[in-house]
Amino acid sequence: MRKLLFVLVALAFVAGFVSAQEIAVIVKTGNSSFWQNVQTGCFDAQKELKAKTPKLSVTFLGPQSESNVAEEINIVESAIDRGVKAIVLAPSDVTALVPAVKKAKDAGIPVVIIDSLLTGPTSNYASFLATDNDAAGRACAKELIDRVKAATGSDSGKIAVMSYVAGVGSEIGRVGGFKDYIAKNSHLEIVTTQYSNADMPTALNQTTNVLSANPDLVGIFGANEPTAIGMGRAIAQAGLAGKIVAIGFDGAAQLQNFIKDGTLQAIAVQSSYNMGYQGVKTAYEASIAKKKVPAKVDTGFIIVTKDNIDTPAAKNVLY
Amino acid sequence: MSNARTQPSQEHGPEAVTAKGRSGVALDRFLTFGAVVVLFVVFSITAKNFFTMRSVLSLLLQTSTTTLMGIGVTFTIITAGIDLSIGSVVALTGTIAVMAAIAGVPIWISWLIGVAAGGVCGLANGLMITKMKLPPFIATLGMTFVIRGVALTITNANAWPAPESFGALGNDTIFRTGNQFPGISYPVIIMIVVAVLCHFILKKTRVGRYTYAVGSNEEAARLSGIKVNRVKILAYVACALCAGVVGTILASRMVTSQPNSAIGYELNAIASSVIGGTSLMGGVGTVGGAVIGSFIIGILTVGLTMQGANYFMQQIIIGLVVIFAVYFDQFRRK
Repeated sequence: MRKLLFVLVALAFVAGFVSAQEIAVIVKTGNSSFWQNVQTGCFDAQKELKAKTPKLSVTFLGPQSESNVAEEINIVESAIDRGVKAIVLAPSDVTALVPAVKKAKDAGIPVVIIDSLLTGPTSNYASFLATDNDAAGRACAKELIDRVKAATGSDSGKIAVMSYVAGVGSEIGRVGGFKDYIAKNSHLEIVTTQYSNADMPTALNQTTNVLSANPDLVGIFGANEPTAIGMGRAIAQAGLAGKIVAIGFDGAAQLQNFIKDGTLQAIAVQSSYNMGYQGVKTAYEASIAKKKVPAKVDTGFIIVTKDNIDTPAAKNVLY
Repeated sequence: MSNARTQPSQEHGPEAVTAKGRSGVALDRFLTFGAVVVLFVVFSITAKNFFTMRSVLSLLLQTSTTTLMGIGVTFTIITAGIDLSIGSVVALTGTIAVMAAIAGVPIWISWLIGVAAGGVCGLANGLMITKMKLPPFIATLGMTFVIRGVALTITNANAWPAPESFGALGNDTIFRTGNQFPGISYPVIIMIVVAVLCHFILKKTRVGRYTYAVGSNEEAARLSGIKVNRVKILAYVACALCAGVVGTILASRMVTSQPNSAIGYELNAIASSVIGGTSLMGGVGTVGGAVIGSFIIGILTVGLTMQGANYFMQQIIIGLVVIFAVYFDQFRRK
């Protein structure tokens, strides 16, 4: 009896979703500030779109951890099974999610990919929305060159790159773009590239060593959040805050403090809010509104410095 | 490292047969310590600015955390166990200390809370291994996920900035004399105190001797009236307390909660201990060995970075050194 009741409730639940026009947002994990910010964007888009489609409902789902690829596949498949109108997906693996996305396409459900690349034919999904990491890396390099010039009057000298995980998609674009821009637009010499494996204490130690081995370093780039925090700490402890040009990436509270106290001169902050907001809007256009959507959308990033940290544009992306 | 093998075996294990005389012990000790000296000299010559007061003090500070974890895990390895949850304990304890400080707990009490949280994790590990009879590998592997999950939950995966005074433990120094001598960091002092204390416990106290006995032959230890479970639990508590000290030190150095950090740190700790002559079969190991082992890894890491060696090359070199250090150690004993 109890079981029957449970099944009935479950059925009613599913039926409720189906009659509601559901857009399922499935991300790498629910538990990080980055994805929380994506969620805020999704629900703001929902509020806006409800004016046109009152039955619209946006659901936000994700596995416990970013490495749990199998669970993410299950979540996608169950969304297909309950007949959602569209899926917004941040794939936690470049290949593993391809079959699930294909399955959605075959079921006539448009998929919008956000944040991370997915391999396979691009016809499998409606649109791809992400930070252009290559452009963000180049913007960081430009910022660093400009500031070194302003400080020393020349565009030569030694710099170091503090990277995170060698060879992951975002790193190749970001650090690759940075190095390429430096090589083509300045005489700065990259003396070393270190990889912290996105571990804050490791980044602190590596930066400390690089700074003491190269007292004549003029600039340094920390390529993701934990690495940039560890790097900032090392610079502060070495008494070099403000004496060396330091550029970070991402926008955690700690990094904002470093910008305000002058330890870091600039951070490139990805618009995770925009990924959620535009992701849901694009999915809506492709499914319920039945319009054509662009195949690729750059969700953008902002270079945040001491001068603009309190402006609304910066506050929008900082988390 | 050498007395690692000979001292306990004189009393317990089958190694008693191969135990060396006094001159052998002296030679062994000379060789391992010699490796540290050789590495140090090589980098002093090849790496710019490696042999400066500031760099050496920084090396001590950076290595102190690995040393502390290495000492801790040595306790569990001597009992023929292992602790794979060290990295997670480091992340959780640091996180708890930071969150306590943010919540307004006096700073020095928040540090103690961090260390104590480590003790609780160790107690949980110990109880699962002794009362639930789980293999240490499985129990501590499971706890790796549980503890990491708790750290992520209480911070919501954020890097929260702690009050600036929270950073004193990891960043302040004593014996500072203006600009000539930058002073010795507190973590280095803590490392020395913990090393001396743990050496004393293992070598001079009854519980220390019991630890070796349990690892050499658990059944014999039980039959001779040793409370095996209690000894094992104490070993896991000691290990996790060391991890708690490390977590608190690292959080203090960073002045930030870092629930995602310290993944895989247990492997460095285990490597330090094993390079230092601890046997994964149990019954053999010393604090001095773990200290030397951790400094071999530490000098290599810092030296290669300062030399500007390619990062991928560094990984290969460190791995090879770990393999050959243990190989030569075994070879020498035969």
